[in-house]
Amino acid sequence: MNDEQMRLSKDIMADGFGLIAAAGYINNEGGQAIADAATELIDGGCGTLLIDLDGTRIINSIGVSILLEIMEKLLEDKGTLAFCNLTPTISKTFEIMGLVQYATVFPDRDTARSELMGDADF
Amino acid sequence: MEVVLHLPVVPNVELVAAKAVETVGGALGMHQTGVEAASVAIVEACLNAMEHGGGQMVVRMSTETLEGKSSLVIEVEDQGNGFDPEESPRHSATRVHGCTSKRGWGLTLIRELMDEVQIRSNPGQTLVRMRKYVENAP
Repeated sequence: MNDEQMRLSKDIMADGFGLIAAAGYINNEGGQAIADAATELIDGGCGTLLIDLDGTRIINSIGVSILLEIMEKLLEDKGTLAFCNLTPTISKTFEIMGLVQYATVFPDRDTARSELMGDADF
Repeated sequence: MEVVLHLPVVPNVELVAAKAVETVGGALGMHQTGVEAASVAIVEACLNAMEHGGGQMVVRMSTETLEGKSSLVIEVEDQGNGFDPEESPRHSATRVHGCTSKRGWGLTLIRELMDEVQIRSNPGQTLVRMRKYVENAP
């Protein structure tokens, strides 16, 4: 089960554009770790947040519900939330739970970065 | 092929069940997407059993062929108080944003990710039976 231990990093890609890379099991603890990183980036002025889930294969509804709270926090601030590198099952789970209605999903980080940075005119 | 797991209520024990799905699904030749869908479904079933089941749960996995189609059958059984499956929440994605409670998605996810789901629940025993066909994924 060690493969499922959450590994997380965060970075500011450009002014106002934050990146979180998370690999592992998104349960209550994993979801909260992502939420904490997101809160730090949002509070630091990031209005656009990209969450890269490359390496994440398993999630649960409690973890996703925590991601929904990040989405709400960003929407309140008129921010943008995006995901990339989702497996088909995680993508479907996000769709079922309504996350993709308010967040953009990109196939990979490069595409996300060019689209988001283009949109935001960084 | 049959696998039976008696799982205690300890943190992340649902991953043991998910790992077993990965192994059995892989042995059946199931596509990775199908394996991952079944893994998320069994994780949700185990979380429900841990939250409402009141103790150890039993997970059974077996293979079945129906009308020439091979499938993985998963059962998760607990000894909780039971519930009325007809009254269980059927969430809609359109009602997520702004809702105070975002919990209770487990059965909705199970129903959406698996090909067939049957729930039998009485006081003292709840059994969630799910099927994933090998050839349906992705």
